[in-house]
This record gives sequence, structure tokens and C-alpha cells, in this order.
Amino acid sequence: MNLKTLFKTILVSLLLIWGVSLISVSSNSLASNALAAGTSDTVESRIQPEGKVHLEGDPEPSTTEEKSAVEEEAEPPIGAPKLKRKDYPKVGASSRGIVWIAAQMHLFFAAFVLAVPMFVLVIEWVGMRTGDERYDNMAHEFMKITMTAYSITALLGGFLTFALFLLYPQLMNYMMMVFDMQVLVYAGLFFAESALLYMYYYSWDALRYGNKKWGHLTIGLGLNVAGTTLLVIANAWATFMMAPSGVDVTGAVTGDIWEIMKGPLWNPVNLHRFIANIAFGGAIVGAYAGFKFLSARTVEQRALYDWMGYTANFIAILAFLPLPFAGYWLMAEIYAYSQQMGITAMGGILAWLFIVQAVLIGTILLAGNYYLWSGMSRCEGSKRYTWMIKYIALILVACFLVWVTPHTLILSAQEIKQLGGSHHHLLGPLGIMPAKNIAVNLMLIVTFLSFQLYRRADKVATVSYANFLNALMVAIYVVAIVNVVFAGVYYGYFTNTVYKVGSSVMQVASTLVVIVAGIVIDTLLFKNAKTIPAVWGKVSNRSQYALFALPIAFTWLMALMGYVRSSVRTHWHVYTVMKDNSPDNFVPSIGYAGNMMTIVTIMFLGMVLFIFWIASLSETKQSKPVAIKKDTEKQPEAQEAGA
Amino acid sequence: MRILNNPVIAVVVAFVVAIILFYLLDHGIMSMQGLPLNSDLTPAQ
Amino acid sequence: MSGEANKQDVGTPIEPASNVLPKILIFSIALTLLFTGVANLLPQVEGEAPVDKEINLGTLTPESFATLGESLFMGKGTCTLCHKPAPLGRAPDIQGENMVGLAESALADERYKGDAKTPEEYIRESMVHPSKFVVKDWGVAGSNDTTSPMPKVDAAPIELSTVEMDAIIAYLQNKDGNDITVELPTEAPAPVEEVASSGGSGGTPAPAETAEEAVTKYGCQACHSMLGTKSPVGPSLEDVSARLNIEQINQSILDPAAVISEGFTDMMPKDFAEKMTIKELTMIVDLLSGKASVAEDKKEAAQ
Repeated sequence: MNLKTLFKTILVSLLLIWGVSLISVSSNSLASNALAAGTSDTVESRIQPEGKVHLEGDPEPSTTEEKSAVEEEAEPPIGAPKLKRKDYPKVGASSRGIVWIAAQMHLFFAAFVLAVPMFVLVIEWVGMRTGDERYDNMAHEFMKITMTAYSITALLGGFLTFALFLLYPQLMNYMMMVFDMQVLVYAGLFFAESALLYMYYYSWDALRYGNKKWGHLTIGLGLNVAGTTLLVIANAWATFMMAPSGVDVTGAVTGDIWEIMKGPLWNPVNLHRFIANIAFGGAIVGAYAGFKFLSARTVEQRALYDWMGYTANFIAILAFLPLPFAGYWLMAEIYAYSQQMGITAMGGILAWLFIVQAVLIGTILLAGNYYLWSGMSRCEGSKRYTWMIKYIALILVACFLVWVTPHTLILSAQEIKQLGGSHHHLLGPLGIMPAKNIAVNLMLIVTFLSFQLYRRADKVATVSYANFLNALMVAIYVVAIVNVVFAGVYYGYFTNTVYKVGSSVMQVASTLVVIVAGIVIDTLLFKNAKTIPAVWGKVSNRSQYALFALPIAFTWLMALMGYVRSSVRTHWHVYTVMKDNSPDNFVPSIGYAGNMMTIVTIMFLGMVLFIFWIASLSETKQSKPVAIKKDTEKQPEAQEAGA
Repeated sequence: MRILNNPVIAVVVAFVVAIILFYLLDHGIMSMQGLPLNSDLTPAQ
Repeated sequence: MSGEANKQDVGTPIEPASNVLPKILIFSIALTLLFTGVANLLPQVEGEAPVDKEINLGTLTPESFATLGESLFMGKGTCTLCHKPAPLGRAPDIQGENMVGLAESALADERYKGDAKTPEEYIRESMVHPSKFVVKDWGVAGSNDTTSPMPKVDAAPIELSTVEMDAIIAYLQNKDGNDITVELPTEAPAPVEEVASSGGSGGTPAPAETAEEAVTKYGCQACHSMLGTKSPVGPSLEDVSARLNIEQINQSILDPAAVISEGFTDMMPKDFAEKMTIKELTMIVDLLSGKASVAEDKKEAAQ
């Protein structure tokens, strides 16, 4: 059988299905109009039959149970339970804290094991197309890391499940009632995921070339389908708790499982998590490569892991760039669902978290850019562009400072007097969204510029219209930057709210135009370009620390944003449907939240190092000891020197 | 299109193209959201 | 890892970096602590969930009611999330402006199609039916000011009670020096009976027009075989006229416990006397006693 055709057919069908379902905007207007079945409190339901009745003269009653009209009456629907404080189990520690840590750890690992097969599949395919064995080996090595991570994901999932049922039994009872058989579908899918994962990894060398390779790719595709399905099923639970659909105001189920799953926030979260997983996974394998680079014992190893680190970083930053847009979509849907929830997140008590987010994304962008700048040393041709680095750095730092400036300050009366108001007259305006949107978009534009310069460093254009294309690229950058600033300043400060909000889309579109134009122009410009040789491995040790900074920042950021997402529900387990009356039903202070994030980040760091160690261990072979002859002084080296 | 090799012409044409592109983009994006603009990019509502 | 052969160790040897693992660990933890530091340096605020508060009705004055309203406005009502001064607000700045003045101009607006006649009624209507009238430029984008982004404050997640809404109205009137027109709560509201989810109970159902309609309405066929249906729960009524006279049928309906047929238990609902109209009762009794056949009933209804 021609497996190549099979693979391509499956891939195209999947992309079509996925694309269509993503585009069909999910909304809970799909919920059925029908009132819940069995809402009537009729006379029949009030009469409780107590048994069979037999009248004189009537035929003998049959021994089989006859259903009377009353029994066939449907049960009135059960809404969400209303809990009191005493209904919550007490275990001597904060229930929320336990579930927080368990859930976050599980999500870290789940994101990782879902993401890696995705880019591994692409890398494997690239390796097959180019014939470059390095790609295939790298893909195989990434999968090795994933195997151990997969076990840990499952362990943490089990731990989380037990914690949830122990500490929030009534909520879980309600969620089981709402989601019904779907939870077993989820559990069952793990059989497919596990089978495909083991098959994918262990058949690597057996299905290495030609037609068989297509078979291997098909297995990998199946693995990703299973993984993505698991992702979207689990996402439905989280988004249901934020914006319930398919239930009435009391929480009683009124729709089918699709209406319950397809809430207004489901697809935005699906998209955001899908992309973010890839960025996160790329960052972690980048750290693996950085670690191996620094521990490299040969020039060839150094070159290999330098190349691996670059590729991983490329994946991480490439996936990272569209994330703000996916996040914007999520926030827009939150605002559309409930303006109150939206403002709680960004204008209310959780607003400060977005200042912390600015610090984290600033770190990510700085680390990513620094890695690219350091990487320029691999190629002589980069000297043409290195003068731009200081200006890019300047813009990054300035924008970062704007982004991190808060709007609202908690001031004492004395401070208000000194300031002349509750907001600083100069810095206050920098604290609101228009300024921050300018800052973010500029940071993304110059990050892309760093990337573009790096990619150009080893090429010299030979096409005849090179001058024009370069002029066009410069023009696009300049006009885009002016447009971003104009949109932010004019619509942000001088028009009404709706135009202000709408202008942020204009800014995002400008950034996207720069990225797309950059890719297109470079492709045209460097047709048959002259290449200047680049040396892998010729990069400073210090640059590898950018590869460690990235996953740490990504991990902490993931914990931070996950915290925002789940606490935007405030004192509700399921927003508007099931109130949270536990002792932990308050929004904790940001310092407490930050400490929790640090705990999970450090735990994750430890576990990831364990995984890397296991991966390294699996390719370590102890040499067989050789017997030492008594008369000779020479001892054959049984172990390699150094390290 | 040899004239475009002249650096000055190239720069001028490039900027004109870019400005037109972004002007149209601005109008398009805002109208798509139900927020029409006047020719001078001020809000029409 | 140290001192053992790695299968990739072929090629030109170099000295690897020293103390790689400790350096990475220290760097990673330091960066993490930097983020923690940022989080701990920022203003620390906790968000409390709303807690029930008792108010002493005896000491309540209009002013203290308005003060209560203000704390509700800032707290449980979550009004300040959206009602803020420009440019931050996503709703009119009702704290900063004269609310009664705003209400009066809204009532006078030609677009106003709601049911309120006074500022108090307008404010209350804005809280429970926000989309009845949307102040210009504050509507949901693309709805041309016909849909309000404001949630209903008496529904989840805000769930303000009538008393709480009155207190907020009192605050909004009082803060600009206007008269408070809401009534103070005088006694604890009657405990609302937990009504099990019921359909069709939005008021008294219309009286039945025919005997058949009445039979369906009161669900006689659930327990009694009659009009072609069967049920073994209660005595069959198909030939009840042979057993009971009109008075006895009347009594069976109005006072079912008085006489229980042999072999059956006391299960028939006791409240038909309160629920049935005289006309409905007469129609059913006539039907059962055979005074009017079903076909004739239908003819009567058609007239």
C-alpha cells in the first residue's frame, strides 16, 4: 500500500475538519430552546402510586411490571448543589492550594507531551524531505524525552483526580453529572494515545525509510490527533466552569454534550493552548539542547546541540509570536460573554497580574532576541547587520518599561496630595491599554526584525530587483511602526471606547503584515542567493543561558495566566451556576499567588532535570571491565577521561 | 522595471506602496468591526 | 553521565563547560525568584467573596440606608467595575454625575421605550432590564445602542436582592442631594417558599371549557380508567354512574377521604375543592354520571 497517499489523505481531512470547526464560532446560542424535559409539576407527578390495584371483576393483574403514566414522567432536572461552608472536606491544608499545585503540575507536563509530538512530526517530515539525517535524529531524541514525561503526566493526572474528588466531592459530582459519558471517552482515549506513542517511538528505526517512513508519519499523525482530542475535551471542563453552556440558570442540564462543550470560550482556549503548548514544548527541548551543548565533549557534539538549540528556539519563538493574538481573542470572548468577568480580569482585582505578565513576556522577548543576536556570531555575513542590535535593544527596553507601568496605584492620602491626583499625570496614561498595545506590537515587530536579520546573515541577494525589495521591506517596517503608534495614540486617547478597542486589531494586523511581508519578501529576495558559510557551535556559552531563561519564563507565565483564567470566576465553582462557599473562596493576594507559581516552577524544574537525566542515562553504556594483568603497568582505559 | 533599481525611485515607490497598503488595511480592519472611518481616518460615528 | 562512555562521543574532543548543572540550577532559581520578587513587591490586595450582613431595621434611617447602598455599589454590586469615569469606564459614570438628572433626561429621550415614569423606577429598570434603554454610545459594539453590556443585577453572578437594589437607588439619589424616594425595608421579607421547578405555573391556568379539558387539566386519567384510557391506580370510572349517584360523585371529588373504595388506599388529591371552578366540577360530574355524553360536551363547547 502506498502509505504516502494514506498519510496525505488523513492529514488533509484532519486539517479541513479542524479548520471548519474552529471557524464555526462557538457560542452558547446553540443551546436548545426546549425547556428541560420534565419540568412540569403536574397532578400526575404528585400522585404517588403505591402498588398494583386490582378491582373486583377486573382481569387478573399480570405479574410483569406495567409502567403507569406516573412512572414514565421524567425526573425533574437536578441543578447544581448549593453548598455551605461545612459541606467542604477539611484536610488540615488549603484544599485550593493542593488542587492548584496538582493541576498546574499536570498541565505543565500535559502541555509538554502534547506539544513535542507535534513539532517532532514536522521535523521528521522535514528530515525526510531534505534527506538530512540530523533532523530525524533530533526528532527521535525529542521523543525520547517525551516518553518519561508521559508517565509523569499520567501520575500527576491521577493525583489531581484523587485530590479533586477528595477535596471537592460535590463539585465533581456535579461535573460528572454534566459531562456524563464524555469523561469515560476521555479516559478511553488514553489507550489510543499510549498505544500510538509507544508505537511511534519504538518503531522509529524499523520504519525508517521509503514507504515505511510514511507509515511512521501516519502513526505520528494519529498520535497528534489523539493528543489534540484529549486537549479539547479537557479544555471543555475548564471553560464550562468559566462560561457554562447547555445548562439552565440552576445548573440543570438542558442541552446535549456538544452544547455543553461548545461554550463561548472553548475554541479561544483551544487555539491559545494549542499554540502555547508548542511554544512551551519548544522552549523545554531548547533547554535540553542548551544543557547538552554546555556538557558537550566533542566539537561535533557542540555543533549538533547548537543547531538543535537554534531549531528549538525557532519553534518556541515562532509559536510564541501569534500567542498575543490568540490571547486577545480569548479576552474578547470573555468580555463578550460577561463584561463583568472581563473587567475583573483586566480592570479589576486581577489587573496587577498583567503587569507581572509584562515582566515575563519582556523576559521571553529579551531572551529570544539575545539568543538571536548571539547567534549572529556563527556567520561572518552578520557583521552587516550587527549595528542594528543596539537600536532593537533600546526599543525593546523602552517598550518593556511602558508595558510594565501600572495605571492605578494604591496611594495614601499624603501620596495623592503629592501626586496631585490618584494617577500620575505623565505616567498614568501609559498605564492603560492603548499604550500597552503600542508597546507589545513594537516589541513583536522588532523581535521579528532580529529574526529576519539572523536569517539574512548568511545570504547575499543576487536577484536584479534586490534594491526595490529591500526598500519595500524598510518602508513596510517604518510605516507599520508609525501606524501602530498612530492607532494607539489617536484612537486610544482621543476617541471613544469602542474605537479604542477596535484600534488594537488594527495594530495587530500591522504587525502581522510585517511578519508576512518579511517572509514573502525574503523568499523572493534570496532566490539563488549566495551563501556565506555559518559554523554551528561557534557561539558563546553565555548565549545558552537564554535557552534556560526561556522555559523558566514560559513555565512561570503559564502558571500566572492559568491562575488568572481560573480565578476570574471569583467566588464561583461554575460561574453563575454553582457558588463557591469553601474557606478558600476569596481571590488571594498576588504575592501568595506568585509564591505558588514559584513552588510549581521549581518542582517542574526538578522533574524536567530528572527527565533529561533519564534520557541521557538511556544512551549511556558502561564499558565492560577488562582484567588487569599483574605484570604490566599499562591499564587499558576502561573509562573515558574527563567529565 | 529597471527604473526601480534607482535607489531614490525605489525608496519613494516603496514608501508610497507601503502607505497605501496600511491606509487600506486601517479602513478595512475598522469597517470589519463595524467602526467606519472617514477619509482622514477619524471615526465616522 | 560522568566517566561513562556516551555513544555520541566520537570526534574532536574539547573541554566541556564546568559545573554545568549547578550553574543552570542557580540561574533558573534566581530567575524564578526574580519573578516571585516582582509579585511580592506589588500592592497586595485580597478579594473577599460577599458575606451576608445583618441590618438592624430599627435603627435604619434614609441616610444610613443610602450609606449601605454605597457600600453595596462598591462591593457586592460590583458596579464600579464598569461605572467609572472616562476614559476607563465601560458604562456611564453614574457616581460622578447627577443620577437623578441622568434619569430624567433618559426618560425624556425620544428613544426611551421602557415602562418607568420616575427616576426611581428608571434606575430600578436599568438594573433589572438593562437593555430596555441604552444610553447613547454605550451599547454593545455593532448593536447600535439597542443591547446593553450590563448584566441583570438580580441574576447570577451579582444576585442583588430587592432590599439591596433599593439601598443602591437610595445612594444614587442621595449622593447628589436629591430626595430619597425608596421605601425603607420595614420587616423581614416573608420567607420565600422553595418552589420545586415547575412549568406552566406562571399564574392560574385558564378554566377548562369542556368536561374533557377539565379531566385532562386535573389529571384524572393518571389514576382512573376513563374516556378510553386505563389506569389501575384508582377505581375505574368507566361505569361509575352505576355505583355512585351525583352526590356521591361530588363528594368523591371534593372530599376524597370520606369514602375509600374497597381495595384502594387514601391517595386521591384533597385540593380539588380549592382548585376547581364550579363550572369545571359540574362538567366532570355530569360526564361521570352520564348526564352528558362526550359528544354532546363537544357540541356545547363548539357553540
